[in-house]
Amino acid sequence: MATSEPAETQSTAPNSSDQQLRPGLWDVVNERYPGSMIHNDDFVPMATLKKPLSQCRLGFVSTSGVQLKGSLPFDVVHPIGDYSFRRVPSSTHVDQLEIHQIKYPTDGANRDVNVVYPIQRLRELAEAGVVGSLTENFLSFIGYNMDARQLEKTLAEDIADAFEEEQADIVLAAPA
Amino acid sequence: MSREYLKEAIAEDDREKLIRYVRLHFGDGNEKTGQLEIEKAWIEALKRLVDFPETKREFIFQSLEEQSEETLAHLFFHLHFYFVKKSGEWIHDGNL
Repeated sequence: MATSEPAETQSTAPNSSDQQLRPGLWDVVNERYPGSMIHNDDFVPMATLKKPLSQCRLGFVSTSGVQLKGSLPFDVVHPIGDYSFRRVPSSTHVDQLEIHQIKYPTDGANRDVNVVYPIQRLRELAEAGVVGSLTENFLSFIGYNMDARQLEKTLAEDIADAFEEEQADIVLAAPA
Repeated sequence: MSREYLKEAIAEDDREKLIRYVRLHFGDGNEKTGQLEIEKAWIEALKRLVDFPETKREFIFQSLEEQSEETLAHLFFHLHFYFVKKSGEWIHDGNL
């Protein structure tokens, strides 16, 4: 992932209300998390799929904090955030998963983890042939990361490398 | 809230900005709530010591002596959240 000059912090939304789906949202975010909104002029060209989805190996990554039971819990108390990720085998039974995250409601996800981490649904898509196959591992991290540059230069790069190792053709990314 | 904001506040010794950062973290983006959460943690810790229970002071001193200030600072945040949870009033959306 390419990076450009240091990102600038922004105190107001960059676009007028007719360009934003939720006008005022950035102002609210900046009020609650000052300086968290950054501007980056990097241009990342849209990647094109080189073969049909039914022949692609699909990876999945989520900000949900879902992880294997018994693995080191995500660091949800650290004031700057946790820039690590966890591997979750795509074959994992949902009973073997747990969530460590305090910044979003997890009640529904605790009843059915698929609402934030659709591991069973994606297996069904693979079994039905909608996608060719799944990567051996899916990935997970937490979304409370207060250093956007570090997020880009470490966690995002690490995740991209991990999916290259997994030989993913396409990756589905989902916030929680 | 960004690390940039925090580093700027440290450089300028802007204590209001620094404590606001902590409150917002404990309050999930709500400063007043965060202040109450921090106070809740202290109250819970205080309640546990009022009857002079036996505690492992050797462990405490050993930890202070042997562990880095960074580890202890990290533990400090852990302990706050730990006692917030022990209070039985868990207002946060998810789990530790």
